[in-house]
Amino acid sequence: MAVFMQSLLSGILIGGVYALIGIGLTLIFGVMRVINFAHGDILMVGMYLTYIAFTWLGIDPFVSVLVTFPLMFLFGGFLQKVFINRVLKAVSQNQILLTIGLGLIMSNTVMLIFTSDYKLISTSYSSSTLKVGGGVSLSTPLLVSFLITATITAALYWFLLKTDTGQAIRATAQDREAATLMGINVKRMSIIAFGLGSALAGTAGALIAPTYYIFPQVGSVFTLKAFVITVLGGMGSVVGAMLGGILIGVTESLSAVYISSGWKDVVVFVLFLLVLLFKPSGLMGKSRT
Amino acid sequence: MPILEINHVSKFFGGLAAVSDVSFSVEAGSIMGLIGPNGAGKTTLFNCITGYYPPSRGEVFFHGRRMNGLDPDKVCMLGMVRTWQKVRPLARLSVVDNVMVGALAHTSSLRTARALAMDQLRVVGLDHRADFTAGGLPIGERKKLEVARALATRPKLLLLDEVMGGLNPAESAEIIQLILDIKQQGLTQMVIEHDMKAIMRISDRIVVLSSGEKLMEGTPQEVVTNPDVITAYLGESHA
Amino acid sequence: MSNTMLKAAAGFILLALLLAIPKQVESPYALHMMILLFLSISMGQSWNILGGFAGQYSVGHAAYFGVGAYATMMLMQARQVPPWIGAWAGMVLVVAVALAIGSICFRLRGPYFVLASIAVAEILRLSAINLTALTNGAEGILVTELPAFKLSERVLTDFSTKVPFYYIGLSLALLTIGVTYGVQHSKLGYFFQAIREDQDAAHSLGISISLYKNIALVISAVLTSLAGAYYGIYVGFVDPPTVLGLDLSVQIMLICIIGGMGTLWGPVLGALVLVPMSEALRSNLVTDLLVKVGLVNADSKVGVFLKENLAHAHVLLYGILVVLVILFMPDGLMGFVKKLARPRKQEVA
Repeated sequence: MAVFMQSLLSGILIGGVYALIGIGLTLIFGVMRVINFAHGDILMVGMYLTYIAFTWLGIDPFVSVLVTFPLMFLFGGFLQKVFINRVLKAVSQNQILLTIGLGLIMSNTVMLIFTSDYKLISTSYSSSTLKVGGGVSLSTPLLVSFLITATITAALYWFLLKTDTGQAIRATAQDREAATLMGINVKRMSIIAFGLGSALAGTAGALIAPTYYIFPQVGSVFTLKAFVITVLGGMGSVVGAMLGGILIGVTESLSAVYISSGWKDVVVFVLFLLVLLFKPSGLMGKSRT
Repeated sequence: MPILEINHVSKFFGGLAAVSDVSFSVEAGSIMGLIGPNGAGKTTLFNCITGYYPPSRGEVFFHGRRMNGLDPDKVCMLGMVRTWQKVRPLARLSVVDNVMVGALAHTSSLRTARALAMDQLRVVGLDHRADFTAGGLPIGERKKLEVARALATRPKLLLLDEVMGGLNPAESAEIIQLILDIKQQGLTQMVIEHDMKAIMRISDRIVVLSSGEKLMEGTPQEVVTNPDVITAYLGESHA
Repeated sequence: MSNTMLKAAAGFILLALLLAIPKQVESPYALHMMILLFLSISMGQSWNILGGFAGQYSVGHAAYFGVGAYATMMLMQARQVPPWIGAWAGMVLVVAVALAIGSICFRLRGPYFVLASIAVAEILRLSAINLTALTNGAEGILVTELPAFKLSERVLTDFSTKVPFYYIGLSLALLTIGVTYGVQHSKLGYFFQAIREDQDAAHSLGISISLYKNIALVISAVLTSLAGAYYGIYVGFVDPPTVLGLDLSVQIMLICIIGGMGTLWGPVLGALVLVPMSEALRSNLVTDLLVKVGLVNADSKVGVFLKENLAHAHVLLYGILVVLVILFMPDGLMGFVKKLARPRKQEVA
């Protein structure tokens, strides 16, 4: 029983971070209808930024989120303005290919600079755990990540619901043309959405940096997982991404314990295919292809 | 024996009845007009008939054969083909290649298909555009292309969905003539149209839909003088 | 001479030249380059049938490549089955795999299809890693000795040089080009393209969407599996990331996209651009050139950095090329060439 609770809770904790990745992706899709295949690589860039901050400047990974978030926001905005913007009206395959290309450029540039060596961030608390009772102990960094994730998600929610810009973004996601007619600068909304999505992905990278191996190709696994999460939750739904993230985190965690760690990703992908086949609009299903 | 029988066909989307208990039949060789205000369910009915989706209730009979649930490609091979309200050219293919796709429904030889395609293009007056890219054609020619392509599949029943939409009077006149020529060849046609003068000219009988229901059915003269029809289109004050 | 006869004559001369190269050229490196070229052309042409003509962008084609490679290598290692038989087993297996994948993925459109194709390939890759009893897991399969190819007791080749691989590669490339040509000039080609342009319209014109998508898939998968088998016996080693990885899937697509999808010669052009470029990087040609020209000092920090790292940069190059092509040349090089050669009547007033 303790094993079950342990793995369930760990799954929820990592699920929180996954949710962050998924929310970013779903925001981008919701506002721009773009399937961002570079999402995982953006996360990877966030990881490396954290690594640089830690090894060269001695900044704690969780603290460096304060810097990573805005930096990744700017990076995302730049990507949107220079590249993504040009294919907004193009066929979805071209958008996919463009983001795949951008992802390749990101991961390989990082590889050129840092080599493919696996990097590790070892903080004083990297392997420390917190005993929660009932024979269950949780990884401290994961716990802190979850708390930070929860804070960011709450802030994001407030932003989308209560601020003018946030509402403008939601309006653009609902109906781009109508939003334009109402005086919303949809181009700017797209930049903000992509910036925000990238900031969330980069931050997620920063949060898992203390507990994951850091290497240039780590992005592709996360891209695929991000898609599983958003499709599961319903493309375009922030709440769905949250639920999807937790669900995938738990599925992975339980699979790793009860099946094997080698097969856990297969379980996730099979689940993905099942969702695509039987309920492609996801849990909170809104959008059509 | 009517070539097409629509028996109590309904189509629901969630709770909305887009088509509600519609029945009528079409005689072979005739032209049946299908009219009604926007949102009346005309295109939905076409979609049900041609297998784009099945009717929720009721039955469609073509040459006495039950068509419910058949895929669109089977429907076409049995002799029913439709054109689209929003034209759907195979944009990157040439005009003649577009029509060849239709012709290849009944032949595997490219040479035969090309000859058939050129014939159809001559019928609609597009043979001089044979090698042009379909996507670059103006709307009037795209509509003609779609008709040619549909005709190439050698249908027995041709369903035209607002084929005159967006055309100027000269282009509409050409289409009207085309439809009458097609009738001369013995094809049956069902035509959705908003252009009243055109419908009056070409139809043998007309079915009027409104809010998914069949309002009435009759000859053009009967339809145009019917007060319910006038109300449906123009509102109470004009009745 | 008419246009067609000129083309045919040029084709024959080119073919004769290609056949003669191994006799005249001794350098194994040159042969290796040609082999890479043939492999790339085969991969690109195979993908082209499903992706370029039928418009189904599979980003998981490594699945078929890997099945062909693994089937051939596994049979050779475990049961000493010669690869010319093993490859057939691979083809049979890949048909089953392809139809299974198709039944899942073809119900989905656009980006969802892409995602599903990736997921399926990943499932295969992870399975290959985990099913160690069958596939030797992450360690891969190594087979260095190929059985001699005999025709009724007469040894035609013992595969000790690159020459037989050159001819096999050439045949494979010609096969894929030939199949593409056959498709393009048949009902299949028209129906595939109709599905690509507008699936619903194609459906209403009597085209069975699932049938033709699956035909395109099977043709594409079988040819890709042959390329995989060829890769396996040439390199002598296969492992999950190399023959089942996402990188490979992307690379296969790139050859076609850069060259021009849905055209006969697009993948050939793409291969002609990508292979020399990546080899130039890999072999430090570029760095040496920069040094020679004087732009970079060989001993400087930049020089050393370039020398060490540019060799691995070919994938970076792929990424840059994709971005450039998508932004500026979405019809690929072939589209660009066509526009220059004979502008087809595009715009009507």
